[in-house]
Amino acid sequence: MSKPIQCSLCEEAATVHLSQVVHGKVTKVHLCEHCAQKGGATDPAVFQLADALTAATPMPALTCPRCGFTDLDFRKRGRLGCPACWDTFGEALDALLLKVQHEPAHFGRAPAGVVPVAQLRRRLDAARAEMAAAVAGEDFDLAARLRDEIAALERQLAS
Amino acid sequence: MSVEDILAAESELTHLLGGQQAVVLSTRIRLARNLEGLPFPGWAKLPQRKVIADRCVGALEALPKFRRGHVVRMGELGDRDRTVLVERHLVSKELAAGKSGATVISRDQTCSVMVNEEDHLRIQVVKAGWHLRGTWHIAEQLDAALGDVLKMAFSDRLGYLTACPTNVGTGLRASAMVHLPGLCLAGHMDKVTRALNQDGLAVRGWLGEGTEAAGNVFQISNQQTLGLSEEAILKHLGGWIKQVVEQEWNARRKLAQEEGEKFVDRLARSLGVLRSARLLTSSEAMNMLSHLRLACDMGCLPEERRHLVDRLMIEGQPAHVQARAGQELDSDGRDRRRASMVREALKDFPDVVPPTA
Repeated sequence: MSKPIQCSLCEEAATVHLSQVVHGKVTKVHLCEHCAQKGGATDPAVFQLADALTAATPMPALTCPRCGFTDLDFRKRGRLGCPACWDTFGEALDALLLKVQHEPAHFGRAPAGVVPVAQLRRRLDAARAEMAAAVAGEDFDLAARLRDEIAALERQLAS
Repeated sequence: MSVEDILAAESELTHLLGGQQAVVLSTRIRLARNLEGLPFPGWAKLPQRKVIADRCVGALEALPKFRRGHVVRMGELGDRDRTVLVERHLVSKELAAGKSGATVISRDQTCSVMVNEEDHLRIQVVKAGWHLRGTWHIAEQLDAALGDVLKMAFSDRLGYLTACPTNVGTGLRASAMVHLPGLCLAGHMDKVTRALNQDGLAVRGWLGEGTEAAGNVFQISNQQTLGLSEEAILKHLGGWIKQVVEQEWNARRKLAQEEGEKFVDRLARSLGVLRSARLLTSSEAMNMLSHLRLACDMGCLPEERRHLVDRLMIEGQPAHVQARAGQELDSDGRDRRRASMVREALKDFPDVVPPTA
C-alpha cells in the first residue's frame, strides 16, 4: 500500500482532497479532518476553494431556442436535444468532433434534392490543388480527369 | 405480428444455406437518421415520441421492402420477447429497455428499422457472410426510399444530424461479425484488437457494446462517421476485414499443423460433449459450437453443416431457449432444454476427421 498523503496544513494523514482548475492548471489541496473542519478560513488558498465549492450551481451558458436543451444537459447526457441543437452548440462541439471524428465537416451522401454546397466547395478546392500538383508532376491523364471533375463541380455549384 | 412468427420464419441468418461463409458470420450496415424539427427520442416528451413513432412506422410500413413484414412495438412485448429480439440483433438493448420504441422488420429479417432508439430511425441491413457492397446497396436504397417520404435533419456542414456526436455525418456504422478461434487460441487477439483500435475500428463481443466475445465471435466496425465518405468508410473496413480473415486462416493452419492430433482431438471432444451432454450453459455451448464451426471451415466436418452450427449459436441463447419452450425456465431448466435441442440437432453429425483446409 502507498504512503498516506499528508495534510497540507499539519502533519496528520489527509482525508479530504480538493482540486481546483485555474487557467487549465490543476491545484490540489489535501486536508486532515481537523483542518478541513476548521474550514481552512485562515489559509487563503483553501478559503478560495471552499468558496468555489459552495458557489451557486453552475448556470448554463447556451440554451437551444428550439427545444430548451442546455450545454449542462449535454455535459450530463453526452447526447443533444434536437437537430437544431447542432446550430446552437455547433462551434462548441467542434473541439469534441475533432477528437472523435475524422474531420469536423461532412463528406458523403445528402438527401435527394439537397445540394451540399459546402461539401462541393471543399471538393472543388481540393481538386484544384490536386490538379496543380498533377500538372507540376506532369501527370496529364490525372490532370485531365481532375479538370473534368472541376468543371462538373462548378456547373453543380452554379445551378 | 408476434415474436413467435419471427422465430418460426426462415431468416437470413438462421436458414440461408448458401450465404454462410468461413470466418465472417455476417455483414451489417446501420444508418442513423432523424426527422427535421422534432427532438431526439432521449429528450422528447412522451407525446412527441408518439408522433415520431407514428410518422416513422407509417412511412416504413408503406415501403415495398416491408410488405408482409413485422411491426413490433416494445411497449406491447414482455421481457422475454424483447430479449429474443436483442439476441437476434434485430433491436438494441437500449431500444428493448424502453417502452416507446418500435421496430419494423422485413419478412426475411435482412432489413430492420428501429424507431425511437437514440435516434428517430436506425436503419439496419444484415446479410449472412461477407457481402459489404451488397449490404450497403440495400441500405442505400432503403435510405433513399425513406428520404422520399420523410424530411431528414441534414446540415450542409455536418451531414445527417444525430443525437450523439459519434454518429453525425454519414450516420454509417458498417460492421462484420467474425469468428476468430484461430487468433484466440494462438493468443493474438489482444494484438489484433489494438491494431484495429489504433486505426479507428472498434472490436466488440457477440452482442455489441460491453459484451464479451462468447464463442470467439467479434464484431468489428468503423468508429468515425464524419469527414469520410461512405465509400471511404466501407473501403477502410473492407481492407481490414480482409486482413483479419487472412491472419485468422494463417493462425488456424499453423495451429492445425503444430498441434496435429491434439487439434483434431479438441474439436472431436467438443462434438462429443455437445452430442451427449444433459446440461449445457449458454457460454459452454457457444464455445463448443465455435469448435464445430472451426471444424466445418477446416474440412474436419462437412462444410454444409456449418449453417446448422450458426443457427444453434443463435437459438441456444437464453431467451430463445425459453421462447421455444413456451415458458419461463430457471437456469437449470434452460441448460437442460439447450442440451436436448443441441443433442437432437447433432444426432446424425458425422465424426470429426483430420483437416483438409
